[in-house]
Formats: sequence, C-alpha cells, structure tokens
Amino acid sequence: MMPEAAASPLPVRRRNTAARADLAVAFVLIAAAVALPFLVDSRYVLGQVVLALFYATVATQWNLLFGFAGVFSLAQMAVFAFGGYATAMLCFYFGWSVWGAIPVAAVATAAASLVVGLACLRLTGVYVALLTLAIAQVMYVLIVTDTECFVMVGSTCRQFTGGAVGFARFGDFGMRALLKGQWLVGNYAIVAAVFAVTTFITYLVVKSPVGLAFRALKDNPACAVARGVNRFTAQLAVFGVSAFFTGLAGGVYAAHFQAIGPGVLSLSQLLFIVAIAVVGGVGQFWGPIVGTIVLVAADEAMREAGEFRTLGLGIIIAASMVLMPNGLVGRFHDLARFLAARRAPAAPPAVSPAE
Amino acid sequence: MASVVVAVLVAGLTSGAIYALATVGLSLVWGSMGMLNMAHAALLALGGYAAFTAVTTLGLPPVVGFVAAFAAGAAAGALLYVSIVRPLLRSAPAAFETNVLIATVGAGIALENAILMTYGGQPLKQPVAAAGAFAFEAGTIPVQNVVIVTVAVVLMVATALLLGRTKMGRAIRATAQNREAAELMGVPVGRVYLQVLMLSGMLAGVCGVLVSAITQLTPPLGNDPMLKAFIMCVVAGLGNLPGAIAASFGLAVIEAFVQYAAGARWGFPVLLFIVIAVLVWRPSGLFGRAQIRRV
Repeated sequence: MMPEAAASPLPVRRRNTAARADLAVAFVLIAAAVALPFLVDSRYVLGQVVLALFYATVATQWNLLFGFAGVFSLAQMAVFAFGGYATAMLCFYFGWSVWGAIPVAAVATAAASLVVGLACLRLTGVYVALLTLAIAQVMYVLIVTDTECFVMVGSTCRQFTGGAVGFARFGDFGMRALLKGQWLVGNYAIVAAVFAVTTFITYLVVKSPVGLAFRALKDNPACAVARGVNRFTAQLAVFGVSAFFTGLAGGVYAAHFQAIGPGVLSLSQLLFIVAIAVVGGVGQFWGPIVGTIVLVAADEAMREAGEFRTLGLGIIIAASMVLMPNGLVGRFHDLARFLAARRAPAAPPAVSPAE
Repeated sequence: MASVVVAVLVAGLTSGAIYALATVGLSLVWGSMGMLNMAHAALLALGGYAAFTAVTTLGLPPVVGFVAAFAAGAAAGALLYVSIVRPLLRSAPAAFETNVLIATVGAGIALENAILMTYGGQPLKQPVAAAGAFAFEAGTIPVQNVVIVTVAVVLMVATALLLGRTKMGRAIRATAQNREAAELMGVPVGRVYLQVLMLSGMLAGVCGVLVSAITQLTPPLGNDPMLKAFIMCVVAGLGNLPGAIAASFGLAVIEAFVQYAAGARWGFPVLLFIVIAVLVWRPSGLFGRAQIRRV
C-alpha cells in the first residue's frame, strides 16, 4: 500500500471511531440513568446517586477549566457555593421560587467568576491555584465568622450570609406536592437532566473551535497567541462557561437538599472533586464520570471504616497521581493503543512469506 | 496609645516570624525544584506533635523537643521525595508542576489524618513553650514571642549561611538556576532535591513547634500559616527568599493593625486584596522576574 494513501484516511477514521465511542458511552449513560429509578428501590441508594451526579457535574466543569483550558482554579467549590447561596438568598429574602432563582443565580455566578477570571488573567499555573484557593478561603472565613444580625426570624437572629448555620427551608422543586412519596425520583430526574444537559454542552464546547483554542492555550500559550488565539476572551469565556454550569449545579443542589451551608466550602469537598478528576483522568472528557463512579463506590466501601475515610482519600489522590498521571481513562487509552499496536505488526509477517 | 502600638507590633512581628519561617521552607522547595508543597501544613503539625511526644510523653527536656521536630520534619521530607517526587519526576517531567501539587495535597491530607487518628482531635498543650513577660514602660512583651522571633531569625540566618557558604548550598543554588547545566557539571540533582525537601521539612517542623506554642496543638494547625505563607510567596515572587522574608514581616504587621482596627475577621481578606492588587500590577510578584520562555 502507498504510504501517502495510508496516511490520509487514518486520522479521519480515528476521529470517526472516537466520536462513535463517545456516542456509545453517552447512550450507555443515558440508558443507565433512565433505567435506574425502575431498578433501584432503596431511597438511600437513589439519594447517593443524586449526590454522585452533583459530584460528576462539578468535576466535569473543573475538568473543562483545568483539564482542557489549563486554568488551575481551586475555587471550584466556592463557585458551586456561590450558586447555591445565591439561590437560597433569592428565595429567602425575596420569596422567589427556586425555578426562577436558579437561572438568575447561575448568571450571577458566571458574572462573579468573570471578576475572578480578570484577576487571574495575567497569572499562570500555580499562581492561579494559590489566588483562587485564597479567594475560596476568604469566602469561607467571611461566611463562618458572620455574626451580625441582618433580619430577625421569629425570636432568632439571622445573619445576611446565614453564618455558620446557612440557609434551610427556602423552597423546593415542588416534587413533594406533585409526586408525594416518590418525590425523590422527581428530584433525581431534574438533577440527572441538569447533569446530562451541562455535560452535553460541555462536550460541544470542547469539540468546537473555542475548545481547540482552550487546548492550544494550555499546551503552548505563546504559540497559540502567535497563531491568533485571543487569550483574553478565551480565558474569560472558559471561566464564564464553567462557572455558569457550576453555579447552576450549586443552585439545584441547594434546592434539592433545601439547605446550603458553609460546609460545601470545606477543603475536603474541594479535594473530593479534585480526586474525582485525577482518578478518572484530567483532560479526558469521560474522566470525571469514571472517577465519580470509582470514588463514590470506594467512599461507600470505606464508610464502614469510618475514620479511615479521609486518610484513604488522601492516599488515593497521591497514589493515583504517582501511578497513573492520566487517570483511569488515560490508562484505558494506553491499553487500547497497546492492543492495537500488538495487532498491527502481526499482519505483515503473515503477508511476507506468501510473496 | 503607645501600649497599643507595642502590642500590635509585637503580635505582628511574632506572626511575621512564623510566616517567614513557613515561607522560607515553601519558597526553598519552589525555587530549587519548581514544586509547590501542599503537604507543608501537615509537616508543621507533624513537628509540633513530635515535640509533644518527646517532651510530654517521654519526659525529655524541652530543647530535645526541637530536635525531635527537626528529625520528624527531615524524615517526612525524605519520605515525600522517595514516594512522590522521584516517581513523578521520572514518569512525567513536563507536567511535574501541577502533578506534584495535586499529589502533595493528597499526601498532606493523609498525614494530617494520620496525626488526627494517633493523637485525637482535642487541642493539646505544647510543652515546648516559655512563660513570663518582659515589662516595659510602654507595655509588656511575653517571653514566648521573643523566643519565637529569635528562633526564627537564627534558623533563617543558618539557612542563608547554608545556601551561601557551603558546598551543599552551592549545589542547591546551581540546581535552582539551571537543572540540566548543574547535572552536566556533575551535581547529583536527585540528592540535591532530597536535601532540599529534608531541609524544608526541618524548618517546617520547628515552625510547627513555634506556632503551637502560642496557640494549641491541633492536627490542622499548619493550614493557616501555610495559606498565609503562600500569600507571602506570591507577593514576593515564588522562589525569592529575601523577598519572601520581607513580605512576611511587612504583611504580618499590616494584618495585625487591620485586625486591631477593623476586627479579627478582616485581617485575611485585607491581605488578599493586597495580593490581588500586587499581582495585577506585577504578575510575578514584587521581587519576581517575569519568566521569558522561548517557543
């Protein structure tokens, strides 16, 4: 076969198989998500799956920011909390329904995140990580130490930010009134739909020219800028997109649990998200989803061990970074490539004796 | 009025000394190997608890507490090198900067929780502490604060001498300047990295003893100094030791004044605003030089 002829169709075919594989994974996920409420009877399991969907959504957005655009932000849970708090405060102070509050909160989160993005714009790598971590810590400290009375609710005093307690009972999706005992299935459907839609749009973003620009900026900023990629707009765009969806997830989280508190800002929550992305594979689109499944299952298994949970989580993060820097999905690709390479050289010797 | 100024200055300089010591440990590792050690906070806690074990549990004299903190910090640094840094440098040197950050986050969490499970979560009293105070016309200065500033300054001078005057220091500086060139000149880069991590661990261990002497021994005791140390590093420019020390003392005094004037909860936010302002003005820190990379 001519080498030129062999070289040109190969990338096209590979791209097609990659797209087909993505489609297959998506179908399997959707089928599993639809089948789940019919198969699972336990309210506890369904509740944990809803929680896992939140983790997967937030980790996917972090992966977009860090894995694809190379912006090492550690403010992901702060962004999530911003969406949740904005939803809770709109409902609590203005009596909005959560359906109206969540989109507004998501837009507000994106706007606030753009300000952070502007502050980070001239920084690179670890400087971004340190600054965003500090911003998240300040948000936590200011909320927890808030003791000034803002409004009186009955005979108790309530702080503007909810203080160390946070907000609770400000409204829900209305599923309790609609579905009675099956309300959790209704909430599950909403959360699963949010996860599916945000993941689908993120996929489109990653595969679009804008997504290519993100990746070019990550791999080699100077080259990308020289080739005409606008770093300013691309970086702000990725901050905005990621924050919008993360804030949306935060709002849905607050509405699902009917509560939001400073606990979501704790370091262990952020670490869990980071661990999910690292175990699954940073920069691999399906990485956070694989990571969520593995880590939630591991977390559930370690629940018996109680106090060893956080210790185990730390060891899992460090060990998977050392042993598989590209995560489980990266290891899977390595394996696929290894098998393909083994199959490919096997063909020529079969031909040559016949000549 | 004078007594207030003295009290605020004493508080500011004391925390400045602690921040400076934590910052030197972080900055040393960053400057020589491009590694941001997120497990530094856990090393601080480890040092504090090692001193506690040596003095309270084993009944040794308080000075031995410092030795125990030194030893524990150095051992943890060596362990960090063998288990995380060396394999990561071998497998993916290009992505080392971010990979090692995430991996040390995990190591730090694991160490902090191991300490929590060994000693329990309830606050303990650091036995390596000094009581009493010097009384002046303008106010009093606790002996403990003098001890902290003295120990920190002595250690920083010792570190500076080690880096500037010894063969080992020359190897560290050479590696920091240009790793490949140093390697070609026969510097054993792997051993230099091991030495730097052990040195940083020792400084962190003693810093943990000093922090717990004015507060209490709790497993997360290192988190606050580490976060502040990051801020000092960023303001000064990562890897710049004299700049980091200057930034530590300067910002700690500002923090103490803000805490006095506006309440304790505003100290950290004000620091953060200063950092953002500095970074927008000079993205590589006050004393840092912009990195110019060839494409």
